[in-house]
This record gives sequence, C-alpha cells and structure tokens, in this order.
Amino acid sequence: MTAALLTLADSRLPAGGHTHSGGVEQAVAAGLVHDPSSLAAFLLRRLTTSGAVAAGLAAAACGGGDLAALDAEADARTPSPALRAASRQQGRGLVRVGRRAWPSPLWDALPAAPHHPVALGVAAAAGSLTARDAAAAAAYLSVSGPATAAQRLLAMDPLTVAAVTARLAPEIDAVADAAVQGGRNGHFCRPGLPADTDPLLDLLAEVHAARKDRFFAS
Amino acid sequence: MITRVEVVARRGPGGRTVLPVVRASGQLAVRRTGPASVHLVATAFGPLGGDDAEVRLVVEEGATLAVRSVAAAVALPARDGDRPSVQRVVAEVAGELDLRPEPTVVARGAHHRAELTATLAAGAVLTACEQVLLGRTGEEPGRWTGTTRVVADGRPLLHTTVGLGPGAPAWLPPVAPRAWASTVHVGQAAGVLTGDDAVRLPLENGWVATAWGAELHRVVRAAEAVA
Repeated sequence: MTAALLTLADSRLPAGGHTHSGGVEQAVAAGLVHDPSSLAAFLLRRLTTSGAVAAGLAAAACGGGDLAALDAEADARTPSPALRAASRQQGRGLVRVGRRAWPSPLWDALPAAPHHPVALGVAAAAGSLTARDAAAAAAYLSVSGPATAAQRLLAMDPLTVAAVTARLAPEIDAVADAAVQGGRNGHFCRPGLPADTDPLLDLLAEVHAARKDRFFAS
Repeated sequence: MITRVEVVARRGPGGRTVLPVVRASGQLAVRRTGPASVHLVATAFGPLGGDDAEVRLVVEEGATLAVRSVAAAVALPARDGDRPSVQRVVAEVAGELDLRPEPTVVARGAHHRAELTATLAAGAVLTACEQVLLGRTGEEPGRWTGTTRVVADGRPLLHTTVGLGPGAPAWLPPVAPRAWASTVHVGQAAGVLTGDDAVRLPLENGWVATAWGAELHRVVRAAEAVA
C-alpha cells in the first residue's frame, strides 16, 4: 500500500462525494435508518451490493480493462437514472482532481463523464496502486460517505458513527478480496464482474430524486 | 439431475411461427400449447439442491414464442451438503419472446440460483417475468439468487444479481422480503415509476419493474401496477 491509497479514500479529497448521501437521506426519511444499528445494516446492504459492484469495476479499470466497455457494464448494473447520474457526477469530480493529483495518459482513455468506480480504477492506476487497492477504496467509499451523511442528518455522535464504519472493516476487506479474486479466477471477463443489486436502494434513490426539499444530491 | 430444454421458434410460411426444435430431457418436459407457445411441465419432484437445468430458447427474426409453466416449482434442499439448485435460461432473440413461468417457491434450507441471459438482436422484443416466494406456508424462508443479463444489439442493457433469504448479504431487516416479483421488458420504453416497495426503472427501449413484500399475490399486483 502507498499513501496514494490514503489520499484516494480520504473524504477530504475534493471529488464532490460529500454532496451525496448514498441513499441515506431517503432511508432516514423512510424511517429505515434511525440509530447506529439500523445505520450499520444499511451500510452493509450498500457495501455488499453497490459497493461490491464498484469494487469489481474499479479493480478491472485499474487492471487495464477496456474503460468504455466497463463504463457500459456499470450502466447495465445501475438501471436507476438517479444512481447513474450520481455515479457519473462523482466520476467527473474525481477525474477533475485526479488529473491534477496523478498526471497520467491513462486519464485520456476515460469516457467524458465516467462512472465513479471506473474513474476510481484509473485514479488508482495513475497513482501506481494495485487493483486490490482500487477495490478497497471503492468498497470503503461505498460506506464512508453514507456514514458521514447519516451523522449529519441524524445529528449522531461522531464517535459512534466512526465505530460503526470501523467495525465494517472485515466486510470491506472481504468485498475487496472478492473483487480481485474474480480476476484471478479468470472471471475478469465483463459478465463476470459482480452485479449485486438492491432494488430498495434504487427505489430510495428515485423517490429522493423527485423530492424538492433534499439536502444531498443523492 | 441434469435437465436440458431447447426450443427454437422460426418464421414459417405465411409469417406464422413454427417450432422446428422442441426438445427436453431430465426433469422438464415441453408441451406445445398453441401455435407459438409452449408449457414447461415438471416431470419430477424438485428441483433438489445439486440439480442443474438449462433452458435454451431461440426466437428467430419474425417469429414469436410464449413460454409458460404449468405449476410453481418448489426448490428443495440437497439430500447431502448445501449445493444450490441451478436453472439457467439462455435466450437468443431476434423476434419476440414472452417468458412467464409460474412462481418459484424456495423451501427452508434450499438455495436456488436462477439465471437469465438474453441476447437480443436489433428490433427484438423481450418480456421476462420472475416470481419468487421464500418458504412454503408456515415455513422458514429458503434462499434465492437471481441474475439477469440482457445484451441488446451488442450492448449490455441490464445486468443485476439479487440475493434473497438467510445468508444473502443484503437481505437484512427491516427489509428482508419473502416474496419478490420482477419483469424486464425490451421493445417499448417507459420511464421511472415508484410505488410502495415497487419501482420501475427505464432501460434503453424498455424497462425493468420490481416489487417485494411479505405475500406473493400482493407483490405480483404491485409489480403489475408499476409495469
């Protein structure tokens, strides 16, 4: 591991992630997230579905996969228009800061507003990180942003929320390992990428996108 | 047990569909129930854990095919070990395929994996429905993993895997439904529609509608309401 991974997973990296709640804002409104244990369950759902998909895509993009094809696979795994828009918005934000932070010709192969995990994979490669690093960053980011959003929305104790996130470490590692093992076992072919989905998150995202009074972009 | 089914639908004389290939071995038989429709008939109990079924459907340009089943399938656990039962539907569609089998009920301790891979030519029409109930009446839920991959005109349109039941990582209270229904359609576009525990999402020239809840008949109605 190098310090580039710490930078990539740092919530203070100005890639625009802080404006997204990863579905937490609507989950709070729906009464699904209201305390530390319901937050932990929500984060685990997110980690093992969209987090696993993001980890797989990021690892594949870092490992030199065809970026346009991976971006199309990300679309196929993200049928919710609201979630697609959120992912592409964050992808664009990451490209903006990543190009400056880790200059590399690798960025030029990305489509215009790439899905966030695909951009994350390229950022990892540009920062000389491994596919496992890219997967770990994707898996971690799938819960760290939503955890912070929950803290802000519910005025939760920051120490408690930090502990909830930290206790997910074994699950985050397992998701990152699985993303890379898929590759080792020859399942890096695109249909072999994880495709785990949670229609609850799709529903929350679409109800959220239609709201006029939302605080977060997604 | 290994089960293999193959049906080919072809545009015949005068534009009506003929079925030059209707083949089945293992636990499923195929019956022609109309000019362009077949029913899958279970000829054995199950599927049991470890069973492997593949249903290959080819609908050529200008042809239509409707595939139904006569009764719900009840997936039962393996006699030994915890191997899942697997059913793969592999569809190549240039015409129009309408796939609406009866529900799959997954008994306690069973794990059923359902995979649909549909490869569509330009102009193809697809409607594929899935209905799942975890556990029979009064029984603990079984586990179901469903993967759908639709490729249209060479581009991936939809690729999702849903895991339901004990042991599925995202099947967590308070949203851990016993019943599930989903329909994917390609051929006519539709936008986002949300309901109570139901959502329709647009695909290019199509949509996917999903609903979940405690009781299958309500869930099927909810899915139809957003379809």
